[in-house]
Amino acid sequence: MKSRFLYPAIFLLSAAGMAYQMALMRIFAIAQWHHFAYMIISIAMLGFAAGGTIGTFLRAKYAGAESNVIAGAAFLLCLSFILCYAFSQKIPFETYQLISQPKQIGYLLALYGILSIPFFLLSLCILQGLVLDSGHLGRLYAANMIGSGAGALGAVFLLNWVRPEKIPYLLTLPAAAACLLLAVGNSRRIVRISLALIFSLSVLFKWADTPLQISEYKGLAYALRIPDAQVIAQSQSPLSVITAVRSSMIRETPGQISFRYPWKESGPLPEQIGLFFDADSISPLNRFQGDFKPFSYLDYVTSALPYHLINAREVLIMGPGGGTPILQVLARGVEHITAVEVDPRVFSVIQKHFKDFSGGIYEHASVTTVIAEGREFLQSRGSAYDLINIPPLDSFSAASAGVYALNESYLYTVEAFKMYLEHLTPQGVLSITRWFKTPPRDELKLFATMIEALEKTKVNEPGRHLAVIRSWNTVTLLMSRSPWHESQIQSIRDFIQTRGFDAIFYPGVRPEETNRFSVLQDPVYEQAIPKLMERNREQFYRDYLFDIRPATDNRPYFFQFFKWKSLMRLLKGMGLEWVPFVEWGYLILLATLIQAVAASVFLLGIPALFQKEKIAYPTKCAVFLFFTSIGFAYMFLEIAFIQRFMLFLGFPIYAVAVVLTAFLIFSGVGSFAADRYSHSNLVFLLLSVAGIVIISGLYLLILPRVFAFGVSWSRELKVIASIFLLAPLAFCMGIPFPSGMQKLCHSFESSIPWAWAINGCASVLGAILATLLAVHFGFNFIVILALLMYGVALGTFVLFQRNYEKI
Amino acid sequence: MPTIKKPGSCVFKEGVPLIPKVPIIPAFIVLLALQPGAQARASEEEPAFAQRRKAMVEETIQARGVSDPAVLAVMKKVERHLFVDPGLKDSAYADRPLPIGYGQTISQPYIVALMTELLQLDKDDVVLEVGTGSGYQAAVLGEIAKEVRTVEIIPELGDLARSRLEQLGYKNVQVKVGDGYFGWRDHAPYDGIIVTAAATHIPPPLIEQLKPGGRMIIPVGPVFYVQTLILVEKREDGSIRQKSLMPVRFVPLTGGK
Repeated sequence: MKSRFLYPAIFLLSAAGMAYQMALMRIFAIAQWHHFAYMIISIAMLGFAAGGTIGTFLRAKYAGAESNVIAGAAFLLCLSFILCYAFSQKIPFETYQLISQPKQIGYLLALYGILSIPFFLLSLCILQGLVLDSGHLGRLYAANMIGSGAGALGAVFLLNWVRPEKIPYLLTLPAAAACLLLAVGNSRRIVRISLALIFSLSVLFKWADTPLQISEYKGLAYALRIPDAQVIAQSQSPLSVITAVRSSMIRETPGQISFRYPWKESGPLPEQIGLFFDADSISPLNRFQGDFKPFSYLDYVTSALPYHLINAREVLIMGPGGGTPILQVLARGVEHITAVEVDPRVFSVIQKHFKDFSGGIYEHASVTTVIAEGREFLQSRGSAYDLINIPPLDSFSAASAGVYALNESYLYTVEAFKMYLEHLTPQGVLSITRWFKTPPRDELKLFATMIEALEKTKVNEPGRHLAVIRSWNTVTLLMSRSPWHESQIQSIRDFIQTRGFDAIFYPGVRPEETNRFSVLQDPVYEQAIPKLMERNREQFYRDYLFDIRPATDNRPYFFQFFKWKSLMRLLKGMGLEWVPFVEWGYLILLATLIQAVAASVFLLGIPALFQKEKIAYPTKCAVFLFFTSIGFAYMFLEIAFIQRFMLFLGFPIYAVAVVLTAFLIFSGVGSFAADRYSHSNLVFLLLSVAGIVIISGLYLLILPRVFAFGVSWSRELKVIASIFLLAPLAFCMGIPFPSGMQKLCHSFESSIPWAWAINGCASVLGAILATLLAVHFGFNFIVILALLMYGVALGTFVLFQRNYEKI
Repeated sequence: MPTIKKPGSCVFKEGVPLIPKVPIIPAFIVLLALQPGAQARASEEEPAFAQRRKAMVEETIQARGVSDPAVLAVMKKVERHLFVDPGLKDSAYADRPLPIGYGQTISQPYIVALMTELLQLDKDDVVLEVGTGSGYQAAVLGEIAKEVRTVEIIPELGDLARSRLEQLGYKNVQVKVGDGYFGWRDHAPYDGIIVTAAATHIPPPLIEQLKPGGRMIIPVGPVFYVQTLILVEKREDGSIRQKSLMPVRFVPLTGGK
């Protein structure tokens, strides 16, 4: 019998499930690497698919007892949040050792197995609910979607106050409430469930309090092994956990200090505190007491070059972190600095805990702090600057491993560079410093981006606006609004000569000024720079071993350099020795995709092979095609449009939370509507697909203009506008799934669990594939692909309907 | 792990074998009494490991371009399997890095050989290593140079490496637990320096402690892998020049065109 409170219970369980998924993403970003975000999505969705597969077999056995299955699964789900997290922390898995220890693959599989249990149980609850409530499955699906949306929002807010590893414990509360709701109306069951919950949870809270096991290869774990190291402050947000460590061994500089720096006269480096982000990337905080002498070394790194070329009065720094770039500017007596930081905790941690230590640099009379994403700030509130400076935002080790390969960054796109040019004073300069990578790629991609941006602003000779220098571990690129004067070129020469740095390019650079202090084996720059300067640089983009084609807003993956085209060349020439030289983030995503495909084949193949009820082969194919298409298409559109809105909204995490929640909730409303109009679901489906195609197509064309129009709106207004824009699309996207399910209910009820499993598998593959395809082809491409898939789904549905009518 | 004194680990100084202070025979008897099984296993394993070492040198290190006969001889001699976790002994002679705990690794044998070759050491040289790790690189250097000083910041790793190197009879290798940033001033200047702990800048005290004409090697790359070797040369006039060397022969970057 269906519980009166089935919908609220499913809402609560779905909310807890989504919050658990987001907590796991943060847990694994801190303990291992943030590539695990994709693995966690994959784990969750595979758990869902497994629920469908098992549900196929349970269907016959537990027919009529669905509400008992839901109650039992909900009870276990409540306990599994804690138990599965606790067990996962006992598994000695190490990402880096995957290469050296085959048993790590076993550990990874064990992690997959254990962490997918809660999602499996949640899936079973929803699926049994769908079977039980097959007359109104759109409503149940709506409860699931809206619950997930609420869970996403709740998790983001919780992560401001609660450490992610504590969230599994908190989530037992909504799950327990759901258990009790499911038992309402049956007083004996309520008593039993309450007692069982109280007993189990009190035992679990006491015994399973497991601290987070951070990989020994992460910077924080290593730093804390140093005898005098101690954690002196910690702060968390949904973006990252910041851990402040004091140790005499922390000596982070923005790159190699010139060998000609007069150490003996200048004294040692200033004392530093290390700010570790998610236990890895380090940003140093310097002891500053008003005396700039200990910071004179900052004039002996490559990033000091622009200060020798222009008289900068207004400086904008994107991502100043612990403040070293601020000190570099202050030491030169600049009038005013605007420091833009995306993570609000950076300023608040420094102000709260290290105001004296840091000399209050962020309260300095010359410094204005802004919490925003750099692009959005510049677009909405930026003025004109003499210098826009982007220091390396990732750490040296993270850069060399390529862990950010899949991070979207709107700071390094052609559109962004064009905007920087527009926000420079006539003599203004953009300065970007990156860690040097072997073989070179970041600087070549940035150089190409600068040229393309200059060409787009109708500059005839882009080369006259560019200068690039390097040390052995940093590269600094400058792009000026006006062509360099002869005196500035002489200043570049003097700077590199006196500091022992090498020129890569500036107008009139002489061969003997390159590759002389830090000698590279191969003359890569001599080959690359002239080709990038040509109008027909396309050929060079194609030939170069790495993807150095400039990033665009449509394809904002600056950190991704892997090219499929090069794979055969690499394999043929180097075997597997090339692996450490490419971006690991990309390879891990690829590995995740491969395992997800294997798991999907297994999870979908078994019920298809062993289903007892005979369903015609064409029908099976139609069911498969329909649910695969809509699963893929939903994820493609969701990912593409949330990315599009991120650039508009600017402050990623809260914006994503609000937009994702709105998306899920409006899809839920769509499902609910589909349920109301279930008697004419073909028409409704037709209308919804037409709606999706029209709205998406329209958005591809008009969104850039809408965003340009609303650029100066307040954040609140931007969020509201985004929700309004996404709501109709999400509403339409919520319709196809329940419509298909309703159709199945009327014809082949036994296929419901299988369809549920297909939806789970398609969602995980869709999420991974959307990212992979966006990396290579951009977001517009995946939107078009999604629309085609909706078309396929519609066609399948029509065929299916006809087929069914014939029967 | 068998901890028997190996005859092969005596260090030769100007052609004269240095006799370890611990008498070999009594130590051998004591250890034999304590670990009879281990001894039997070790003696069974040793020829197999020696064979694997030989194969490692001939099939990998030499094949990949290391040609200094002294370096090749040392790589055939130093027992890498005694520097890794017993569970990883079977992988000790594979050409890949291995974990040694505490977030550190033992470099792949080819890189160890290449770095040693690049230092161009001779038997009178004094070498500094920053980042002892397992002690394997120090042992390899110890077989060639006159003196090796090695500094490790993680006390557990430093202590383990020290006792391991002592047991193996490396009298000319001294391990210090401490901050390698400042080098080891008492024994400076050095003919060669290896800095295995990559940093955002090369510590100036290390440059200072490098002899004019000396060479410094810094492996750079993510955990477990070396992407580039930075070779720093201090010329006789004290000026500095660096070279960036790729240990791997990379395919042409522009499609061979």
